[in-house]
Order: sequence, then structure tokens, then C-alpha cells
Amino acid sequence: MNERRFSLPILAALAAACLLLATGILMARYEDRLYADQQVKNINEQAHILAASVAGAVAFDDLRAAQEYVNALKVNPELLVAGVYNGRDRRIAGFSRGGRAIPARPGITASGHGHIDVAVPVTQNGARLGAVFLSAAAEPAQRRIARYIGLVLLVTMGALVIAVLAFSQSALSRRADQLSRVNLRLQAEMGERARTEEALRQAHKMEAVGQLSGGIAHDFNNLIMIAKGNLRLLRKRLDPAAGQQFQYVAATEEALDRAAHLTQRILAFSRRQPLMPEPVRLSGLVSDIGALLRHSVGETVELETRLDAQWWTRCDINQMENVILNLAINARDAMPDGGRLTIATRDLRLNDAPAGLAEFSPGDYVALSLRDTGVGMSEEVRSRAVDPFFTTKPLGKGTGLGLSMTFGFVRQSGGYLVIESAPGKGSEITIYMPRTEEPA
Amino acid sequence: MPGRLAAFIMLAGLCGTAQAQSSLEYTVKAAYLARFAPFINWPADAFAGPNAPLNICVLGPDPFGADLDKAVAGQKDGDHPLAVRRMETLLPETICQILFIHDAILADEALEALGSRPVMTVTDSGMRAHGIISFIVIDNHVRFDIDDDAARRVGLSISSKLLTLAHAVRHRGGR
Repeated sequence: MNERRFSLPILAALAAACLLLATGILMARYEDRLYADQQVKNINEQAHILAASVAGAVAFDDLRAAQEYVNALKVNPELLVAGVYNGRDRRIAGFSRGGRAIPARPGITASGHGHIDVAVPVTQNGARLGAVFLSAAAEPAQRRIARYIGLVLLVTMGALVIAVLAFSQSALSRRADQLSRVNLRLQAEMGERARTEEALRQAHKMEAVGQLSGGIAHDFNNLIMIAKGNLRLLRKRLDPAAGQQFQYVAATEEALDRAAHLTQRILAFSRRQPLMPEPVRLSGLVSDIGALLRHSVGETVELETRLDAQWWTRCDINQMENVILNLAINARDAMPDGGRLTIATRDLRLNDAPAGLAEFSPGDYVALSLRDTGVGMSEEVRSRAVDPFFTTKPLGKGTGLGLSMTFGFVRQSGGYLVIESAPGKGSEITIYMPRTEEPA
Repeated sequence: MPGRLAAFIMLAGLCGTAQAQSSLEYTVKAAYLARFAPFINWPADAFAGPNAPLNICVLGPDPFGADLDKAVAGQKDGDHPLAVRRMETLLPETICQILFIHDAILADEALEALGSRPVMTVTDSGMRAHGIISFIVIDNHVRFDIDDDAARRVGLSISSKLLTLAHAVRHRGGR
């Protein structure tokens, strides 16, 4: 492509130069012809003038007069031969220069190279009295050469101008090429930057939502604790015989427990829940809850585990178990007609951020991934999946806090959460936990 | 150059006898007589018609023999073919454009008789009377004098090309 764009002006320049050369040659030939024609005309005119003026001398064989007329022509240096002939074609006057001989009879020598021969009859009132013959040098060689040199110079200059134009044209197109490549790169970088900014904005949004909801949940939790404490006091003072009243209290306590659980999850998302991190190997953790996982996903889902990670990490073990169970149940819900859930762990040394992460610190990580073969998520759903209270489940089936809480817990533990999914292609949720030293 | 004329007799060097010399003289004169016509302009009524012959008349004795007929053969002056007519006397109805007279007595009479008729009279050398053109022989070369004033009087015009070749010219206005 680049090669072609470069060679096109060169080709055009070559063609133009060839055209110029051809035109130059044609013009030179034309000028030659023009000059020759002009010269023939010129000599012809002189011959006619001589013929008219020499008529009397020819008619009455006046050699001296004829010679005087002929001598008058010597002022024209291009005339090489002049001859005057009487009615019987006998030469009666003439001159010759430049090694040429005066022909014995008019018009006998053929016009050859380098000279122009003209023979004109001498007539007076229609009567032919004799003839005159003139021969002139063709265009002098040096004048011809000078003209050709001029032409060559012109053609050369023209070709030079064309060459310069073609060169600058090709340079220009090269520059345009570079410019368009740079522009493409700039656009790509701008797109990349826009995506990064979007991810950052999303992270900030989550941060803000987390702070807000965390504050509310914290105060709410305190209120629940007060309500529960008072309920406990009330229960002690209730008449054991009043079974109906116990039931009311029990129902209220149960509701308060659920409310407390909810606030716990909100706190988990907002990273304000109290965590008790301790060193753990995720591969071991998954193995420990293997039976529970199998039970949770049900019989229609095939569970596969590939636990290759050996490194240790630090996190709240109970919360991590909850997270894994939660994600497994999500996967099950995404595969109503059955499928396969693959839980894998592996050790990773990451220098670059995995796709979809705006903020990331390079280092060693233990990756835990849950991959299902379910319905997958659209890009819109995927981008909002960790938003609090966002759920695709029917009303009442989910709180919309499962992934939010997971996200909050992982971030609070110093890890990262990446969701990869496409409609019909299943989903893969990966948790990157930073590696810690093996406990002594 | 005007007047400096030298009619070159081609074969002069080859001819030893006076007889031969004399015969050559008339050969040249015959050729001249035939060549005068293109240099002379006659009025239109001098001819019987547009294609009528241009008559070169020889009055009285003919010194040319066949030379004049040869010189005239096939020659034309414009549309007029040249013709030779020989006559003993000059009749009023005779049309001559050029009249050559060899005999001195006949010349006097004829010049008198012609008056202002547009005839180019040519008289031979060696006589007193002069026509418009009169031959002379100088150093064995045939030359001629021209009386342009006489030509004007009879309505003829003579080309300057011919005038410049004349040995002597009597110019118009009688100078």
C-alpha cells in the first residue's frame, strides 16, 4: 500500500518527462522542417527576383549585365551557387562558393543534404528566355546544434521541475501516512483512557455507595441490637403461661435476626464489617467445603475442582467460605437446566492488571475462579453486577447484595474481583487474593 | 551598366571569313528581333484580336533567310504567337507590330508613311534613317539604340529592362 502510494507520483513524473522529451523532439523536427520550408521559400523568392531582373540580359546575351545582377546576390552568405542560363540552357553568368561547382545546366543537381537548390525560368511577358539556378546552404550546423541545445536545456529543466514536484508529492503522502498512523494510535489511546476513566468512575461510585450504606447499616445495626436486647428482657418477664405472647416475641426476634443479617451483608459490601483475617490456602478451603458445595449446587450441576494453588493468602475464613458458597449458588441459578461448574485455584505472578481492572498492584496472587456453563450476562448486566441491590432474580428471590458483599469483602481483604461473561457463553468470576508468607 | 552593352557573338572566335561574320551578324539580329516583343507593350488596338499573331514584318530585302523563321518558331508574346511576314511595300491595311527595314530608301518612306501607327520600327545598322530601335555594330558586336521619345509618340512603351541594355537611349521628352 505504502509502496504503491509512493510509486504513483514517480510513474506520473516519468510519463510526464517522456511526454516532454517526445514533445521536444517533435518540436525540434518541426522547427527543422519550418526552417527548411522558410529557406526554400526565401531562396525561391530570390531566384524569382533574379530571374525578373536578369531577363533583358538573358534575352540579348549581355553577359556582363547578367554577371552584375548575379554578383549582387553575393551579399547573402547563405547562397553558395548562382547561375544564369540563356534560352538554350547555356550558362552565361554565375558564381559559386564553398567548393561547389556551378552546374552546366539549370536544375540538374538534385537537392541533396546540406543545401537547397532552386531553378526558376526567366520569362518576359510569357515568353521563356532562359533560367536561373540558386543553391543555398541548409541551416548551418552550429545554429542547429545551438537550437537543439536550447531545447535539451528546456526539456531538462522541465524534467527537473517534474522530478522535484513528484518528490515533494511523495514526501507529502509519506507525511500524511505517518500522520494518519499517529492519529489512529491517538484515537486508540483516547478510547483506552475513556474505558479506564469509566472503570475508575465505577470504582468511586461503589466506594461512595459503600460508605453511605455502610453508615446507615452500622447505625441500623445498633438500633436492632437495642431492640433485640429489650426483647430479651421482655421475654424474661413474660408469663410462661402466655404462649401467644411468646410467639409474638419469637416472630419479632426472628425478623430482627434477619434484619441484623442484612445489615451484616451491607457492612460486608461497604467493607466495614469486622473481619478476622488469618493465613489460609484457598485450595484447602475449597476442599474443606467440598461436600457443602456439592450439596448446594444440586444434582443437575456437575462440579469440578482444579485446585493447583499452593501459595498462602490472608482472609476471614468464614466470610470466604460464605463467598464461595454464594458464588456457587449464583452459578447454579444461572444453569436451571444443569451444566458444569468448575472451581479452580492457581498461583499467578501478575505484572499487568487482568482485563477489566482499573486499579491494580503487580505482584503474586492466588486466583480462585468459578466458571459455569450457564446463560451468561449481557455487558450491561455484567457492568452493574456488583451494584448493591441490583439483581436479575425475580422479586423476593434475591436481595441484590450477594455480589456486592463479595466485592466488598474481597476489596477489604486486599484482593480483586473480575467478572467475565457473555450471553450464552457462561460466566467466570475470578478472585485475586494477594499472596502471603507461609505461616511458621 | 546602362548603355554598357556587349552582345556577345557566340561563335565569333570560330569564324574566320568576312562572309561568315556577316551571316552570323544577321543570325544574332534575327534572334534579337524575335526577343524584343516581350519587352514592348502595344496598345490593345494594335492587334486584330486578343489571340491574333504578333507580326514581325520584314519590308523589302530580307537579310535573314531562315534565321528569323527559326528564331520566331514556337515563340509567343503573351497570347500572341509570333509570326514573320515579308513584304515589298507597306500597305495601309497591313498589320505589323514590329517592322524591320534593311533598305535605307525604303526606311525613309516607310517611317514617313507609318506616322503615328503603333508599330515598333527597327532599322538595320549602317543607315541614316532611324526607327524606334536601330541596330548598330560596334567591335563586331551587335547592339542597338532606342528612341523612347518616338515610341511614346506612337503609343508604345518599352520595358526599362530593354532600355538599360541599349547602347544609347533617346529618352522621352526629346532630350
